[in-house]
Amino acid sequence: MSAPPNATGVTGRRLAALTEGWRVYRADRGGAFGLAVLLVVVALALLAPVLTRSGELDVTRVQGAPLQPPSATNWLGTDESGRSVLLLTWWGARMSLLVGLSAAVLSMVIGTVVGLLAAHFGGWVATLLLRVTDFFLVLPALVLAIALSTVLSRGVFTIVLAIGVTSWPQTARLVRAQTLTVETRPYIERARALGGGHRHLLGKHVLPAVLPLVFATTTLTVASAIIAESTLSFLGLGDPSMISWGSMLKSAMDTGAVTAGAWWYLLPPGLGIAIVVLSFTLCGRALETVLNPKLRGTRR
Amino acid sequence: MNPILRMDGVSVTYRGSARPRQAVTDANLTLEAGATLGLAGESGCGKTSLALAVLRLLPRSAEVDGTILLDGRDIERLTWGGLRAVRWASASVVFQGAMHALNPVRTIADQIAEPIRLHSSERLSAAVLRARVVELLEQVEIPGRRRDAYPHELSGGQRQRVMIAMALACEPRLIIADEPTTALDVVVQAQVLSLLRQLVAERGIALLMISHDLSVLAASCRRLAVMYRGRLVEEGPARRLASSPEHEHTRALATAFPTIGDTGSRYPGAGEPAGETGSARRALLSAEGVSVVFEDRYRNRVPAVRGVDLEVTGDEILALVGQSGSGKTTLARTLLGLRRPDAGVVYYDGRPLPTSGRRLRDFRGNVQLVLQDPTGALNPRHTVYEAVAEGLRVHGGAADEATRVREALEAAELRPAEEFTGRFPHELSGGQRQRVVIAGALVLRPRVLVADEPVASLDATVRGEILALLLRLRRERGVSSLVITHDLGLAWNIADRVAVMRAGGIVESGPVERVLLEPEHEYTTELLAAVPSFERSVS
Repeated sequence: MSAPPNATGVTGRRLAALTEGWRVYRADRGGAFGLAVLLVVVALALLAPVLTRSGELDVTRVQGAPLQPPSATNWLGTDESGRSVLLLTWWGARMSLLVGLSAAVLSMVIGTVVGLLAAHFGGWVATLLLRVTDFFLVLPALVLAIALSTVLSRGVFTIVLAIGVTSWPQTARLVRAQTLTVETRPYIERARALGGGHRHLLGKHVLPAVLPLVFATTTLTVASAIIAESTLSFLGLGDPSMISWGSMLKSAMDTGAVTAGAWWYLLPPGLGIAIVVLSFTLCGRALETVLNPKLRGTRR
Repeated sequence: MNPILRMDGVSVTYRGSARPRQAVTDANLTLEAGATLGLAGESGCGKTSLALAVLRLLPRSAEVDGTILLDGRDIERLTWGGLRAVRWASASVVFQGAMHALNPVRTIADQIAEPIRLHSSERLSAAVLRARVVELLEQVEIPGRRRDAYPHELSGGQRQRVMIAMALACEPRLIIADEPTTALDVVVQAQVLSLLRQLVAERGIALLMISHDLSVLAASCRRLAVMYRGRLVEEGPARRLASSPEHEHTRALATAFPTIGDTGSRYPGAGEPAGETGSARRALLSAEGVSVVFEDRYRNRVPAVRGVDLEVTGDEILALVGQSGSGKTTLARTLLGLRRPDAGVVYYDGRPLPTSGRRLRDFRGNVQLVLQDPTGALNPRHTVYEAVAEGLRVHGGAADEATRVREALEAAELRPAEEFTGRFPHELSGGQRQRVVIAGALVLRPRVLVADEPVASLDATVRGEILALLLRLRRERGVSSLVITHDLGLAWNIADRVAVMRAGGIVESGPVERVLLEPEHEYTTELLAAVPSFERSVS
């Protein structure tokens, strides 16, 4: 029983729905695993200043030899200036996660709102919104991001904005297409005949139907945002004092670590990206089962 | 004579899900060459599984036991190549949804030519193929010049004819027709059925036709077989099944489809409005000179509804009948205020329909909609409780929400209501879903229900229950209904008055007995003549 008839008021109903959603989510093993991994990664990233000393990341104060393979002192070896790769990866997670997540969320919000409104209202609203979408779609995203981050002041926020503002058009297009499909369903007409207004239709029927798709694209956006961030920081447009997985990969390329066979320098940030992206995908799929009851019986 | 099809002890079991489900149990059937057999039954009774087993077209998870001899060959023993040769060349299929069974991006000539090309041993020249395709199209009464049309450019009836032409392409000895006319309206259905009947008779092709509608089968088959829960419960000449059905399920199927003019088919209470009668009753919902115009792709103005006057008074059931495309759904949407009329006015309770804001919402609480397809009309993500409570929440919520939801569910005869509240639409049967939709409308305590083909997608026995429910709602709660349908039998079942619509205008309206028994307009006569009748077609 998911909707208890005895729950009173809106809050009670929402709470019950949340509890039920959580129960279904937990039943999905992949989702639980993905969420656990993400929580661990996020917790480690947040606790980095507590568990490690940031001073060891200072190039002027390192003691290790450059490009050493993994050993007892440096578990994951050292980089070109002798810093511990483990420490770099640990701290890099902070920046990569922060930029990846916030840029993806920004792009998701813009894309979903634009897509929903364009599809629901049609007419001149759609024409206007879709032309804006087309504009962003045909511009090379990276060039626009570079242009934006040169104009705006340097920093994490600028990078997030640059990536977020350039990566939403795909989401908007997808959301619009899905919204158009959902809106032809008879239950939308039924809701209108019941007297539901735009907010009711969009909030109760269209958005929940579109969300799984949004989550799916967002998980992919997180991945590409992490990569985009690395590109931007490599080009010197980010905050050079911050370490991220992307900038680690880039400096590994630049300093000849790849040709020197320093696999320990490449693998940790690469695996970090892969694991985070995979976890997001697993979470997205589990969320989909919560939102779409039809998938439940078959997955358990 | 050697039978073209012989089934001995055929069972079909679906594996794959948690426990195997037996769809067909121990079916025995024999079909002589050139004979016609109708297979009747409700949805889910296994009739399609049985028929598709003939060509081994069932999904992998299906396991077929028993022997099926097609033209003397055991199809279980056929090799993959042998099976391909048999498919279409000795037996072909007319599938249910002509809309989905045709490839939308290829011309119909290409699609009809496909089986011919696949089954001929030598390469056929384009000219020969084209001549054959044109010949086939003309057999199904589609002009040969339309051969380069795409499926979407044809009407539903024409698409079904194309399917029949495809089935005839390789001159098979058996045609399996799976609900060939279910999606069509009465007039087109009558045309397609007579075409099929005539082609089969001319060529001595055996026909195995599947339908849930006994009267459709009786119109084209000499013998009938009735399936119930995977078993063949009765088989015999159509005439005998019509006059003296032995199995109770046959009787249930036969009575579910009404005979117009037979007072036994009128549901008790139909045509006897409670309360005061005649001129004392006021129009609740009415249209005055309502016109609706659509703009097509090329900005041409296509009138869908032209100057219609119609009124639904309190405490009555009005049936609006017409063929598909006659504008009846558009008119209903206009009456509901979901679309604004381009000319004319819709009145509710004597006042013109509000166009926006609070008053429109209040109006929506009084006039509610019941849609054709209950599966689509319910959001798959919402529980029954949420679906029914939705109307209340839209209208600002009610303190006694749970009580009112329970009342509405029970009024729609979902008892006990508690058993249903937590379930999702996909866990319910078609009839139960339609009841949930009706409960969702009733929860607002409306005075008028606008029901658009409320039973078109439901089984024969469920159909009767839903119609009885509409009638009971009128009797016990005084809820008027405007029932939109292509089914004149439905109008005869429950309606008090009937309005016949054609090409956007109402050609005739009046009390059911008058309009259906002594029609004044020739179009009504034409519609009535097209209704397949179980008794008329066998006698």
